[in-house]
Amino acid sequence: MVGTPVLFIAIPLMAAFLIPLLGMIWKELVRIVPGLVLTYLLILAINLLNHVLVHGPIVEVIAGWVPPIGINLVFNAFSGFLVTLMIFLGLLVWVYSYRFKRNVDYEPALKYFLMLMMLITGSVGIVLTGDIFNMFVFIEITSISAYGLTAFYKGRNSAEASFKYVMMGSIASTFLLLAIMIIYAQLGTLNMADIASKIHLMDPKLKIVSYIFFVVALGIEAEIFPLNGWAPDAYAEAPGPVGAAFAGIVVKAAVYAIIRYTYTIFDLSGSFSFLILIGMITLIIAETAAIRQEKLKRMLAYSSIGQMGLVLVAFGFGTKEGVFAALFLMLNHAIIKSLLFFSGSYLTYNSTEKKISEVNGMSKYLPITSLLFALGAFAIVGLPPFAGFWSKLAVLTAAADSNMILIMVLVLMVSVVELVYYLRVVNRVYFFKKEAAVKPQKPTFNGLIVMLVLGAIILLIGFYPDAVTGMLHKATNSLMDKGQYIQNVLSLK
Amino acid sequence: MEMIHIIFLIFLGGAVLTYFAGKISKVLQDIFFLASVLVPTYLFFANVAIADKVTLSLGGINLAWGVNHFSWLFSLIVLGLGSLAAIYAIGYMKGKERKGYFYFNFILSIMAMMGILLSLDLVSFFIFWEIMTWSSYLMTIYNGNDTQRIGIKYFVFSAIGAYAMLMAIVIVHHVAGSFMIGDMINFYPNMGLSMQIWIPILFLMAFGVKAAMMPLHVWAPDAYSNSPMAYTAVFSGALSKMGIYGMVIVLVTMINQIPQGFWFREVIAWLGGITAVLGTLWAIKQDDAKKLLAYSSVAQLGYIITGIAIGTELGMLAGLFLAVMHSLFKGTLFMVTGAIEKQTGTTNFTEVTGLIRKMPWTFVAALFSIIALAGIPPLGGFVGKWMLYESLITSNHYLLVIVIFFSSTAAFLYCYKFLFGFFLGQEEKEWAHVKEAPVVMLIPMLIMAVLMLVLGTFPGLILKPINSGLIDLGYIDTFKHLWNTSIILNAWGDSVVLQPILYYIISIFVFFALFITWKGHKSTRYVTTKDISSSGEVPADDENLTFSVGFMQPFLRAVAPAMRRQIDKYYTGFADGLESLFEFMRRIYTGNGQTYAVYAIVFVVIVLLFKSVLF
Repeated sequence: MVGTPVLFIAIPLMAAFLIPLLGMIWKELVRIVPGLVLTYLLILAINLLNHVLVHGPIVEVIAGWVPPIGINLVFNAFSGFLVTLMIFLGLLVWVYSYRFKRNVDYEPALKYFLMLMMLITGSVGIVLTGDIFNMFVFIEITSISAYGLTAFYKGRNSAEASFKYVMMGSIASTFLLLAIMIIYAQLGTLNMADIASKIHLMDPKLKIVSYIFFVVALGIEAEIFPLNGWAPDAYAEAPGPVGAAFAGIVVKAAVYAIIRYTYTIFDLSGSFSFLILIGMITLIIAETAAIRQEKLKRMLAYSSIGQMGLVLVAFGFGTKEGVFAALFLMLNHAIIKSLLFFSGSYLTYNSTEKKISEVNGMSKYLPITSLLFALGAFAIVGLPPFAGFWSKLAVLTAAADSNMILIMVLVLMVSVVELVYYLRVVNRVYFFKKEAAVKPQKPTFNGLIVMLVLGAIILLIGFYPDAVTGMLHKATNSLMDKGQYIQNVLSLK
Repeated sequence: MEMIHIIFLIFLGGAVLTYFAGKISKVLQDIFFLASVLVPTYLFFANVAIADKVTLSLGGINLAWGVNHFSWLFSLIVLGLGSLAAIYAIGYMKGKERKGYFYFNFILSIMAMMGILLSLDLVSFFIFWEIMTWSSYLMTIYNGNDTQRIGIKYFVFSAIGAYAMLMAIVIVHHVAGSFMIGDMINFYPNMGLSMQIWIPILFLMAFGVKAAMMPLHVWAPDAYSNSPMAYTAVFSGALSKMGIYGMVIVLVTMINQIPQGFWFREVIAWLGGITAVLGTLWAIKQDDAKKLLAYSSVAQLGYIITGIAIGTELGMLAGLFLAVMHSLFKGTLFMVTGAIEKQTGTTNFTEVTGLIRKMPWTFVAALFSIIALAGIPPLGGFVGKWMLYESLITSNHYLLVIVIFFSSTAAFLYCYKFLFGFFLGQEEKEWAHVKEAPVVMLIPMLIMAVLMLVLGTFPGLILKPINSGLIDLGYIDTFKHLWNTSIILNAWGDSVVLQPILYYIISIFVFFALFITWKGHKSTRYVTTKDISSSGEVPADDENLTFSVGFMQPFLRAVAPAMRRQIDKYYTGFADGLESLFEFMRRIYTGNGQTYAVYAIVFVVIVLLFKSVLF
């Protein structure tokens, strides 16, 4: 073994604090160090994931305090898979945003990379931690850096968007803290595994209330309707790569938390159908709202919200097929939506309004970016032979196996809506006359590489899904096996 | 590696290579394009035997591809027409923009169609079905005309159909535990009644869209007429047949197995009949050749659907024979239109006239295919129509015979319009410069024209594979019982011997040709076609004498009530309604942070109130 899970938190956190100091030595270090850190973490994550897939989960105790008293980190197939995915995306976001805006000088770059590192630390922490209060801390770290990144451009709109986010985020923190307090008052422990093993002792009413508070709090971060009002604004106003980071990293962490609470900690029978219900409402409202959007990034944001709804629906089936489908969706969504944000950013690079009508005819000037955007659009709506198709098939198979015909019908109807708004944009990129006012901007070399890598992954999964399905199955098993999780943590001496 | 794998790899690799070869040299691109269509075609017919089968496991799902007699018949249509259209496309696409894009999608379409035909499992069937949809979608928007309406209408209809099919597929997988088509068919009798009814309906929605069956046909006229003609030949000739292929399988293996199937077949047969009538009426109304042919395709597919829905041996033979003929003549006609478009720049009848002397070979191809389309001997269309009528009468669908007969008689009007509008009539000075289409475009058209003539006299050549295909599906052998190489037999013991018909017609032609030459030889006076007078008036040079202006007005007035209610309008209205609903949904997000906070609190309150219901 080359390292332990705690490095995922310690190293980026340290890097984040060291970046300003290093910047004093050589300004370029501000840009370089995060990349080095993320590369190292990715290698570590892949190594650990391989180790975990073969030898079983790693539970790490922090500071020598054995659970249930101390804080522990759990790196199993499920959390390991998500951590690897997040760090991989974090690395891509770094490569992409390395001199994303050419004229950005030292100070903004410093803030940007500092906050990006914090964002990644927080999200990874949410996924790894085995302690609910520790998770609260990581959620705060993530949120605060996300507020900062939303307001990165310092304009009126981004300040407003960030403020909305802060507002909703505070509501989330309040509810989260309330829920944690209820649990602690009832069970006297904060360790997830310990809570899970004692949850039947809890007053049923309080149990439900605390679950609801958890879902509300995390639902705000996971963009569940009607808690997601902040999301479209934040996505639209934040820089393009940050949108990708939100969709691929932050939201994934929040969804992970909801799933962890639903599957492992709580034992409420109604919580699965509750997930389906809120997921379905989120999916339908977000996708239908997306079709009438005028700004590209807002459209992508709504689409992202809708996809997260679908992920919750798939988790709500509560079956192995459902979890597998949901994980596959999360993977695909992370990859494809990032590609769409990355390429979409260049399609609307020089426009102030970022309107969809401003991408007209860009294919003549940005052929590769346009092609990759079209690839992403085709993939996300689930057209074969691209990656999105397999996750869609998995979702529908899982729905059929759970006899949820109505869900299938609704999901497919929403897919048609999704198809329409993506194709409208692709048609604009390829077949409309360019508007004279908007100057096309060639992507940077590193930006292009990132997009090509993502495109290649989409094709790879599309043609050879076996590349990921094995890992997804193991992650599924690891999530479904609640007893094993509790035992792994509590058996530590 | 098996031959079937190699064929698909060549298609796929060829498509990508062709796309990028355009960056190096245009000629190289053309060569790659031809090779990636023709080589797999050759390999398929030379090296793939019936009952060859390959398997593949992907994402934990077992996929299987194989050939049987029935899919071989449709492969013949796809690859035959595909190869000819590919040769034609070389000429057609010369000097056009986005060649790589066109070639890429063309090859992928052919690959997807072959994939559909060879798929033995539902997942790869669906994958190829969707590839076919998006590659053809990219073709419909090739010209960039009104892409947001035409292209998206096509894709939305296709997607609704495809998703209905996807639902059926996953439900079948749930109950039968397998994605194999064979397992589905074997399991079908064990399903519950409601599922026995719903599964075929869901499948038929997908196939009905591609086969342009009423009321799912509204995308077809626009999509057909806006694709590049070299592709429309394949689009209408082969791609729509995928719907027919699927329909036949669903009808035979599912619907025929249950007692309620009778009503299914009646409804589909009538839908086919109505599609035929409406398609024909709309075709007559069109002034643009592309639109006319597009509506005519819809109508012709209606006949085919009626034939296969009747479901008797004769009905199936008729439907499938018409399917083959339709690929030939509609493929040719779209190619003719494409050639005229290329040489004159327009396909409007009211503008182009009198091309017969400028494009004689194109005219010959058009003439043959029009005769075939109209169902007049000695060309193949006659055989198909004859068998269709007979199958309708012997299965007691007298009312439907009248409908089909009305439609195919009315079809003469647009046949005539097409032929006369383009080729006959007064020669206008404007078109004096027009030259015959390039040889590379003529050859495929003429090959198909000859094939139509051959099949008109020797329909057995194609009835034989159709018969083998039907035997594969569980029908009895009808050789020498309903048909022979050049004889069609019927239920009443009569036979139609086709060879003499050809000889008579040829003799009459030769006789008349000789007679006119001999008789008119001395008194011939050469004049221009504008040298005419009507009611004592001599038309001026610049007067538009084009025959097609205001063509068939009285007829159209007579049928106007039937055409007033366009289904398309209802769909558009529905879509507009949805858009306003979506606009309302969008307004839920007010952009005001306070509202969002209120939403969150209201959500908490509601969930807490209903917690005993929810948990």
